[in-house]
Formats: sequence, structure tokens, C-alpha cells
Amino acid sequence: MIDWLTDPYQSQFMRNAGAVALIVGVLSPTVGVWIVLRRLAYMGDAMSHATLSGVASAYLLGFSITLGALAAGLVMGVAVAVLGAHRRLGQDAIIGIVETGLFALGVIMITRSDNIGIDLGHFLFGQITTVTTSDLAVNGGLALVALVGVFASFDDLRMTTFDPLHAAQVGVRVTGLRFVLLAALSIAIVVCLSTVGILMSIAMLVVPASTARMLTDRVSTMTAASIGFGVTSAVGGLTLSYHLASPPGATIALVAVSICVVVFALTLPKRVRHHATTSAQR
Amino acid sequence: MSGSALTTVGLGVRYGPTVALDDVSCTVGWGELVGVVGPNGAGKSSLFRAICGLVPHDGTVEVAGAHCHHQRDRASAGFIPQRSDIDPDFPISLAELVMTGRRRFRRSWRRPTEADRTAVAEAIERVGLSGRERSPIGSLSGGQLQRGMLARALAQGADLLLLDEALSGVDAPTTADMFDLFGELTSAGATILVATHDLALARRRFTRCLGINGGLVADGHPADVLDGETLESIFGSRSVGAGR
Repeated sequence: MIDWLTDPYQSQFMRNAGAVALIVGVLSPTVGVWIVLRRLAYMGDAMSHATLSGVASAYLLGFSITLGALAAGLVMGVAVAVLGAHRRLGQDAIIGIVETGLFALGVIMITRSDNIGIDLGHFLFGQITTVTTSDLAVNGGLALVALVGVFASFDDLRMTTFDPLHAAQVGVRVTGLRFVLLAALSIAIVVCLSTVGILMSIAMLVVPASTARMLTDRVSTMTAASIGFGVTSAVGGLTLSYHLASPPGATIALVAVSICVVVFALTLPKRVRHHATTSAQR
Repeated sequence: MSGSALTTVGLGVRYGPTVALDDVSCTVGWGELVGVVGPNGAGKSSLFRAICGLVPHDGTVEVAGAHCHHQRDRASAGFIPQRSDIDPDFPISLAELVMTGRRRFRRSWRRPTEADRTAVAEAIERVGLSGRERSPIGSLSGGQLQRGMLARALAQGADLLLLDEALSGVDAPTTADMFDLFGELTSAGATILVATHDLALARRRFTRCLGINGGLVADGHPADVLDGETLESIFGSRSVGAGR
């Protein structure tokens, strides 16, 4: 069993892959807790698609892909906030408009430009085994910034998520915190680009946090459990993909979903009893 | 406690071109239990939110004798939202909920102090929920959750409590318990304003009523405000006599 777990990590490229999987396994579920509690799963999915325009722009203009993807995520956040002022449009419709625009822009830039030697599949599905040591350093640094931002704002994020009016009344900067969260979400998606890819980054954001939510009624415990499920999914999925010769990104996502399904089945009877009790009380 | 609990002068709230509330001027003293009555969309919630500085407004607001120039001046007013605005499934315990009221006394990165924990325990005891500190709010009944929200306002140090339709959908025994609690709090000097649609309840339980419909239509004893032409001016002719 030990050999089964350690064999994949004999080579440097797999050790790099394991390290970045660990980073994703900690970062995405930590941010994902707030995405799940604020019901922003669609925003996370849309932002991951929108980063493609940033990646393509970075290639064309010759600067860092990571910065390009980050910028696209932030553009998405700002655009949604600005368009959100239009009271006749729902938040989901606005997200859909901005996402579609930025994703389509990215696809057209990639397919029309001869200067972009980019493999679209690399970003859509991830290429975790090509992560270099310098990629690892950049991703680790970005993850650290996002984690410090989220953990330093933990109490205020909980307040603004539960009751933003009260939070504003006692002096919490509600709008500022929203941008902190959107910035952390952008970073989490950028880090996912090289591992599970754009299309499956939402899996690492939403699935471990949702799995943890089924087990606990405390945000702190939910965060700890979410990280546990995230690391298990990312590192376990990578190890499994090595032995099965399956795509790492898809295997990581499938492991996360499998854990979620098992926890759902195990907690179902308890939830049914709880629902019956609370419905009677309310 | 000095001065009045609440003074508004020319208070008005607009949402774009829509005037939700216009020119509300009133004074409420310490220890008063006041019903705020009016139909849906009359501006009751807007009044409370303006007092707490949660919506832009015209006119001036004084809470506990202090002119409210900044948001922090209004934290002495505790706002308890409608039940429908509270997500009872949010993963937070009663003690964590009440602790959020203490946020005005510390910076975001500071951990709660012993004084914060003592204030939270006292607030929970005051609303009769001792022993439920670690309970998730999802396990509390509707009435207990409202008491928890009240404890949050007390932990916040609020002496002016604004309850926005907080008793809607609460059963009669729980409503009676809540009014017993209101009585204890007002006896201790707190001032409580409760927005309600329930005219029968307002007649029986409050010592003063503010009639709101786009502005302050009536202000006085419930027997005067909720009767005849005054009631008609607040609700329109169809509601006259309702809830007797």
C-alpha cells in the first residue's frame, strides 16, 4: 500500500505535480466554503471560463499568463458589480452575460491568432504533470496571499455572509470584503489552471466545501473538513491517475465528487430526521 | 441615559425616483415600547434602516442624544430584521451569532476578549437562552431565533431596539413571551420599536403607535391612532375595523 502511494512520486515532475495538487487542495476548498455559503457557485464557474480571455491576451501581449488570468478574473468581478446596479437584471443573468463575453473573446483570440502557440486543451482540462519548479513558486506565493486574505477576514466574512446589513451597521466594510473574496476566487482559479483546468476548477471550489457542509453546522469546522476533502481529492486523484493512466484533472474531480456522494449517502438518514424536527419547530 | 432615545427631523428615504418615506419627524423617549404600523410598502423597514444608517436618507437622526454623522454613531441602535431575511440554515451557533454584535468594539483582526465573552453570556442569559450557546441557529425555534437576534443587539450595546416585523408568523405563546421580555428590557431603560401589521396586537400591547404610510401619518396612543379616520388615513378604507 505504501509503495502504491509513493511510487508515483519518484520523479521530479510528479513531485511538482503533487506539491501543486496540495496547494490546490488547500486553497480552493478554503475559498470554496465562502462560495458555497454565499451561493456563488455559478460565479466561480463563470469566472473560471472568463480567465481564458486573460490567458489569450497575455500570450498576445507577451506578459505573464498568470497575471493575465488574474486580471480577467478581476475584470469579471468588477463588471458584474457595475452591471449589478441595473435593478432589472438578476445577478445570474449578469454573470452569464459577462462570462459569455469574456470566454468568447478568449476563444476567438486563440483561434484567430497565428502568434499564439497555445494548446486550448491545456487550460481547459489542466496539465498538472508539466508544472515546473518556478510555476510551483508562483502558485505557492499566490495561494499564500489568498489564504492570508481569507483567514484574516474570517469573522467578518462570516458576518457579511450571514447578515450583511448588520455587518455594515457595526462597521464592517462589506463591499471591500466582497472584493477580497473575488480576488481570492480569481487566485484560486488561476492556480487551478495548471492542475484541473478551467472546466473542472469549479469542482475543487464547490465539491469539497459542499461535502463538508453536509457534516457540520460551524464554518470553522466546515473549513477544516473542506480542506481535508480537498487535499484527499487532489493528491489522491493525482496518485490514482498515475496508476490508472487516466487524465489527472478529471480523476481529481471525480474523486472529489465520489467522496461527496458517499458523504451524502451516509448523512441522508440524519438529515431527514433533522429536517422533520426543524420543520415542526419553525 | 440622557436626552431622548431617538429623534428624527425631516427624515426621508428615496430609492431612485421612488419616495419611500418623506419628512418623518418624531422623538421617542427612553423606556418606551412603540408599535410602528402601516400597510406593506408604507416605509416601516425604510424608517428602521434609515435610523441605522443602512440606506441613504435626507434629514437628521439622533440616537441616544448623539447626532449621527457617521455609521459608528448609529451602532447604539440594534436592528432585528424580518424572519424571512434570516437564513436559519446558516452554519453559525447562537454564541457566534451574538458575538457578531461585539464587532463594533474591536478591530477585525483582534480576537474576542474576556469582556466580549462575558457580554455575550449576559446577553444570552437576558433573553432566556442560557444553555443553548453552542446550538446551531438552525436547531432553534422561530421564537428562540428572534430572542437570539435580540441578544445580538444587546451584546452590541444597543439601547434602542428596532424590530422589523419580527413577530410575523410567531405563535401566540411565543409572542406573549417576547412581550414579557420587551417589558423587562423597557423597565431597564431600553427603548423598543416594533414594526407590525397586527392591529389587534398593536392595540393590546403597545403604549404608543406611529402610523406610517409614506410618511408619519399619526403618532399617539394606540386607541387614538388605530381608530376611525386616523386608521383610514394610514391603511385606506378597507382596513378600518380590522383586527378588533
